[in-house]
Amino acid sequence: MLDATTRFFEDLDRRGFEPLLQKTSGTLRFDLHEGAQTTHWLLRIERGNLHVSQEDREADTVVGTAPRLFGELVTGSENAIAALLRGDMTVSGDLRLVLQVERIFPGPPDARGPRHAFQREAR
Amino acid sequence: MPGTNTVRILDGNTFVVSEDTGDIEATPSEPTGLFSLDTRFLSKWVLTVNGERLNALSYDDLQYYEARFFLVPGMATHYIDAKLSIIRERAVGGSFRETLTFLNHDEKPVDVEIRMDAGSDFADLFQVKDEILNKKGEIYREIEPDRLRIGYRRGNFRRETVISSSVPARYDQNGFAFSVHLEPNEQWNTAIDVQTSAVGPGGRDLRMGLRAHGTERLALQQDLEEWVARAPKVNSEHGRVSHTYRRSLIDLAALRFSPLSLGGQTLPAAGLPWFMTMFGRDSILTCLQVLPFAPALSKTTLRILGALQGTRFDDFRDEDPGRILHEMRYGETAAFEEQPHSPYYGSVDATPLFVVLLDEYEKWTGDVALVKELERECRAALKWVDDYADLVGNGYIWYERRNTDTGLENQCWKDSWDSISYSDGTLPPFPRATCEVQGYAYDAKMRAARLAREFWGDPAYADQLEREAAELKQRFNRDWWVEDGEYFALGLDPTGRQMDVLSSNIGHLLWSGIVDHDRAAKIAGHLVGPRLFSGWGVRTLAEGEVRYNPIGYHNGTIWPFDNSFIAWGLRRYGFAEEAATIASGILDAATYFDGRLPEAFGGYPRDLTKFPVEYPTACSPQAWSTGTPLLLLRTMLGLEPHEGHLAVDPRLPIGMGRIEVLDIPGRWGRVDAFARGRMDMHELAAS
Repeated sequence: MLDATTRFFEDLDRRGFEPLLQKTSGTLRFDLHEGAQTTHWLLRIERGNLHVSQEDREADTVVGTAPRLFGELVTGSENAIAALLRGDMTVSGDLRLVLQVERIFPGPPDARGPRHAFQREAR
Repeated sequence: MPGTNTVRILDGNTFVVSEDTGDIEATPSEPTGLFSLDTRFLSKWVLTVNGERLNALSYDDLQYYEARFFLVPGMATHYIDAKLSIIRERAVGGSFRETLTFLNHDEKPVDVEIRMDAGSDFADLFQVKDEILNKKGEIYREIEPDRLRIGYRRGNFRRETVISSSVPARYDQNGFAFSVHLEPNEQWNTAIDVQTSAVGPGGRDLRMGLRAHGTERLALQQDLEEWVARAPKVNSEHGRVSHTYRRSLIDLAALRFSPLSLGGQTLPAAGLPWFMTMFGRDSILTCLQVLPFAPALSKTTLRILGALQGTRFDDFRDEDPGRILHEMRYGETAAFEEQPHSPYYGSVDATPLFVVLLDEYEKWTGDVALVKELERECRAALKWVDDYADLVGNGYIWYERRNTDTGLENQCWKDSWDSISYSDGTLPPFPRATCEVQGYAYDAKMRAARLAREFWGDPAYADQLEREAAELKQRFNRDWWVEDGEYFALGLDPTGRQMDVLSSNIGHLLWSGIVDHDRAAKIAGHLVGPRLFSGWGVRTLAEGEVRYNPIGYHNGTIWPFDNSFIAWGLRRYGFAEEAATIASGILDAATYFDGRLPEAFGGYPRDLTKFPVEYPTACSPQAWSTGTPLLLLRTMLGLEPHEGHLAVDPRLPIGMGRIEVLDIPGRWGRVDAFARGRMDMHELAAS
């Protein structure tokens, strides 16, 4: 699942700008704990401009999860807010940053979206 | 259903519902307890003296966040001889605090055993509401020398209640106790603190650093005083209106809620006890109602709803890009996705209403910065209306839940299962469209056109929106008009067949401005006619319809908030007398509830019952009922922002006497409005 996580962050870094985060600035560190080992991802947001590194630096918000869960969050099969309420994801620092970044996670891969069942035939 | 003698105090989404003795003994049908974050943290809290339960002489709910109970030992038949009295004072604000005071009135010393039974079932509010208790986790108790810890654990999900006392107590599994010796006329007291916590694996509480104000009693007191001082003053010749206004203002303060993601800013929660959380529809409509009196709530509401606007397709949450949320919850069922409220997006009106509120807010406050800040969110909301809500492809907003297990069938304000029907009483298939939502969409486009032209520098978009709105209006007046009855249908089914019942929803259409002018008089006539108007207010469904029931939740009861928007709509189309008729009916009803309008009351004719019959499980105080008197005042006084100043055009019934509203805030600074009852209502009433 680490592949999905790496892909997610590499994609963010390549994109460089995310309009949904245009009003957001701050740094988030994602600490992915597996046993004694922790992988760090540092996301810096400056009014929507994104910069990703793997530094273990101080951040406005620190998010802790298992690597497997994080992989599921960034591929949409798990939901971050539910995970936070459940205690499976922990946050220290500014919670608002997480709730903003969470919005760029994809929806569930099997989502159908609105069903336009009667396409332009009713009237 | 809460009994009539329950006492409720609250602060944000922490609240206590107890018996009139202060005791809590929750049963599946008795939703008493200490609640926070949609979880019950105390389901048992029973005070005894020498093993005896106590009896209430009286209680005061001093402020919304504090109450005081005067108690004596023993049963009602013999308490008059009581030589001991007990005062229980409690407050919520962050934690729950209770001070117990024991007074010995005897000439002899006494020894008493004081005990509090304490326990918690950690029920999720949804489990309490729907009376299901099937906990998947385990409850634990830890007795420490200076505290009792009761907790609930399910995986990493943990909620804890921690009880401590200022006077050392003997703690055990089921509570704590004191042995007290009291000399004649001596008093003894202890302060008990009950902390609720939502602890993550790191030991950090979810809610840390979120409070809007200090949690101490004095800070709460000061916050309330400032809130009242900031709001306009209302004086009325008959004290009733000013009393109702003040009651509403204080209840509105109580219902302010600080969501987890907002760093302490507040917006109105929907209502006590079931809905102390953020609802898109309720929060927006309440903000619209109270804009002339408390404009700051709108700014917060718009920001938070914008920040949580949908960004992706999620069928479980009925989420789409651009959609404004319906409901957010923090309890166990949301956490484990047994309920979809993390957050749930299944409403079709919150999204257009979001745009409506932003425009109305700017007209009052001149806060252009917020209009610019939320441009992207507004465009996304309008895109949702066009791209994702039109399930039939004929230019209307439709709904059909994708979460068929726990999603909402009806995604309009009348959201109970049987609220939307044909006139033969049968329920239509999905997707469904209801009329008032099309009005909101029209209004949203018209208002967004103004914002685009004046603030977003996009006249082409403004033209496009106005063109679409005009087409929608034309289409709507063609497809939804019920020829026989001369009103608009409640809804359409996917084949275009009308749900041709007469309902209160047509009143919202006037507010939105989607009604062709030559049809408005017909609509106004229905709204104050005998089938819809009870004498107190407009029924949700007209008398004579198959599903009409004077105590049917959305099929015949009268909802004060519904009436406030109907009155506003009538005024918009120039029907000042009809608006005043409804306004004075609802304000009269308010006096029977001591100024606190319930969620809904019975649709019985006024001359039959003489007083408004409260709907059995109505939620109270409820935000949009609380906001109702404020919008009715605005409507009767004809308060309208107009080219940067406040226009006042009062149309009051004679019986209303004089009303003055002082210090109305807005882009004009502060302005006063004076009005006198001049309208003779007898003509209308007689017709």
